[in-house]
Amino acid sequence: MFDKKSYTLYKFHKQINQSFQDKRELLECALPALRDLFKLDRVYFFNWQQERAILSLKMMCKKEYCMDMQEDISVANEPAFLRQLLQEGVAETTDLSYPALYVLIRWLRPTMELKGGEVRSIMREKVGVLRLERFRKNRVFTDSEIDLIKALGQEISHNLHNTEIDQAKNQRLSVSTALNDLSTIFASSLRLNDGLELILKGVQRYFHFDRVHLYLTNSDGTRIKSVLGVDISGVVTQESGDALGEEEKQILKEVFNSPATYRATRSVIYLPLKVQRTKVGLLTFDNILSRRKIGYLDFISLQQFATQMALTIDNARLFERVQELSNYDELTKLPVRRYFNEKFAEEIYRAKRFGLSLSLVIMDIDWFKQINDRYGHQVGDWALKAVSKIIRSSLRQTDVPCRFGGDEMMIMLPRTNSEEAKVIAQRLQERICSVVLPDRTALEPEHLSISQGISTYPSDGATAEELLEKADQALYVVKQRGRGDFAVYREVAEQVPQKPTEEENQ
Amino acid sequence: MILWVMPDSGAKTMEDYATLVALFKQEYPSVDLSVRVFTRNVLWRRIFTLKDPATEEMPDLIQIPHYWTALIVKAGIAENLSQLDPGLSLTDCLPLLKENCYQPGTKDMYSYPWWFDLSALHYRADHLKFVSSNPEEDLKTWQGLLSVCEALREQFGNIPGYYPMQNSDWRGSLSMRSALSCMWSRGLNFFTEDHAATLVGSKEFKEALRDYINLALKEYMPILRERGSLGTIVSGKASMMISRKQGISTFSARRGVRVRTLPVPATGEKSAAYLSGMNLFISTFSQHKKDALKFIKFCARPDMQLRYANMIEAFPAFEEAFEPFISSAPRLQVYKDILPTAHILPNMVIMGTVMEILKRVLAKCATQIVEHRFTQASLDRELDMTAKEIEFLLSIYKG
Repeated sequence: MFDKKSYTLYKFHKQINQSFQDKRELLECALPALRDLFKLDRVYFFNWQQERAILSLKMMCKKEYCMDMQEDISVANEPAFLRQLLQEGVAETTDLSYPALYVLIRWLRPTMELKGGEVRSIMREKVGVLRLERFRKNRVFTDSEIDLIKALGQEISHNLHNTEIDQAKNQRLSVSTALNDLSTIFASSLRLNDGLELILKGVQRYFHFDRVHLYLTNSDGTRIKSVLGVDISGVVTQESGDALGEEEKQILKEVFNSPATYRATRSVIYLPLKVQRTKVGLLTFDNILSRRKIGYLDFISLQQFATQMALTIDNARLFERVQELSNYDELTKLPVRRYFNEKFAEEIYRAKRFGLSLSLVIMDIDWFKQINDRYGHQVGDWALKAVSKIIRSSLRQTDVPCRFGGDEMMIMLPRTNSEEAKVIAQRLQERICSVVLPDRTALEPEHLSISQGISTYPSDGATAEELLEKADQALYVVKQRGRGDFAVYREVAEQVPQKPTEEENQ
Repeated sequence: MILWVMPDSGAKTMEDYATLVALFKQEYPSVDLSVRVFTRNVLWRRIFTLKDPATEEMPDLIQIPHYWTALIVKAGIAENLSQLDPGLSLTDCLPLLKENCYQPGTKDMYSYPWWFDLSALHYRADHLKFVSSNPEEDLKTWQGLLSVCEALREQFGNIPGYYPMQNSDWRGSLSMRSALSCMWSRGLNFFTEDHAATLVGSKEFKEALRDYINLALKEYMPILRERGSLGTIVSGKASMMISRKQGISTFSARRGVRVRTLPVPATGEKSAAYLSGMNLFISTFSQHKKDALKFIKFCARPDMQLRYANMIEAFPAFEEAFEPFISSAPRLQVYKDILPTAHILPNMVIMGTVMEILKRVLAKCATQIVEHRFTQASLDRELDMTAKEIEFLLSIYKG
């Protein structure tokens, strides 16, 4: 048969020995049970804060409910009391005017540690304290009650231990699932930028960071090319690396060259993204605004994720590079004809669909053959590069230039009528005319010049072929007039030599 | 509908909320309203995880300190009340509280005032009569307060556990909210006028904080002790307390102890009181926005303002209830003089964080004081570092 103590313990065990989501839920069950068993007016649970040697109140239970509360008690103020509590597991307060009993609770919690790249679980002791109060009737705690309370305290310890292990397991599982989901989303994104945005948003959401930033480097890892960021508003922003302040650049340089950094007190994580020895980027996470600590387990999980992310970014970049090589001319860095034709067809469709204008400019460098013959191909290539550089820097983002072949280049100007196209042509003319050929033997500096022909949709043609032909004819007129100028087809149409008819050809 | 609140009336919080909910349900029987009480710390953490429906119970209405409004707007978790109910007005609201309801720089209202409290100095007349013939005069300045504390200790020092001042901080530690009056009294603020820089590292700020810390340092006020064993005005183990109205009224009523109230002694040119407002906001993710709005309007109604302010011993936030409330008892008349000296924390995204950082600084100070290793130099160093941290926050969040 059970004695009274064993029976009470058994009942208490049945009451609290269940699966709890977290410590709070367990305490919400255990504290009222204690209150009822010992007819207490209030029961409190304190956490022991090792670094400040303080008992810090977490929860109070009275009457029918439990509530979060705050109270800090320094051990420095109560040294004898604490000694007794640690040695005997219970201590009665002498300061209060009513009976109050403190009961020590010890349990172990799993903690993740990283030693030399190896993740291992260790167990750390955690300490808490119960305070049981009877202030209404001032009924003192009897020895048998104290014995029983100590035994129940051990039962609570045991359950706290189990709950924390369960919680750690669940947390680990949910982090792994989250990161796995994110990797899948990232891998299935067609565009690198889209994928990165999803990753930043996902990581912020799963881990509740105030801010997540991804600094991406240029291809050789020497300079920050762009920065993607998301903050508590959940909006993703992107800016150029050039916009960073000097101080920020300096800090980034330092953390870039360091291994992964975890600053618990500052709630910051820096994770350099590297593939072999090349820097791909840098991920930073912070809780600077909320001051919430970032868990070490989160740090380790993110570190593993970052390695995978670095590889994916690197692969995506290689893919982009291959695409770039196939779409761009190696010498001039201008798109090639195939790419241009695709874009040209798309823009003509858009212009027709929405009733927009579109202009096409064909140009070539004046006397290019003579330049090649006189100064050699190296100077010819130099001239091509100089002209294309000016073209790239003089156009709007929506304009598409292309090297059509030899020294012939084309520019598609969406949403641009002939008057606006003339302004652009004039600007190019002026800028290119200021380029001097690098020939040291010439007495007079020799300037480059270009000739340009312009056609406009819909006035000069409705198809790509028509527009190309009209622009070419306008260019022909410019050349006939002595080069170094530009012309719009409609304005010089009468000067264009007529094609021989079939009869004349025969 | 779920309401997240803070323990407004200490240990009797749940009882007070039960009464409030019952009153609300009398008028809106079909609305199901549950209350969850969290400490400010817990609520602060939960504000940042509110967006994740998987980990949190989704509240519909949340109580916040007035200066968190800019933050909840930035976090995108608050419903625009101006859009939800264009008729919702702040016309009758006490002027100081209005600014804290809007998204800074706009006229979009995101939180609505509920109640507020004012800090003041409370003292036991029966104790003070032994050391001062004119407490009103002697307690005008901080220096005067320290002298009275010294005299009280000499007078009552033989009472075990006696301290001249009761600690009003719930944690029994040093509290930034109690130190605010010392800062404002010196004409100081946390930030420069344009909110571009912080003054936390300034000599004046350090001196202001030192004034407050002196109460613990000179052992006029207990820190980090068991709450039940702290010197309290009721038990006769303390004679004075700087606290909000809530901190003192219950004692006064409970045991017939005659407690008088004065403005907080001035550390600088004039006295300054801390006005702490409590607002309500509706979560963006709420499925019961209309019901939540009903509760906000119910709480703002003059009769409920009066009733709830009486219940939790605070002040109504609206003029229509405030005037009759102040006139209802002679002991409240003093607050008519205190209100014009009131200051309020600015409604900035980083204000809550700044208070958290300073709370950490003061917690460190408190530990050092009880372990007898506190030095002014260590506090100054902490504040210099804190100033840098705040400047960094300012650079990120632009206020």
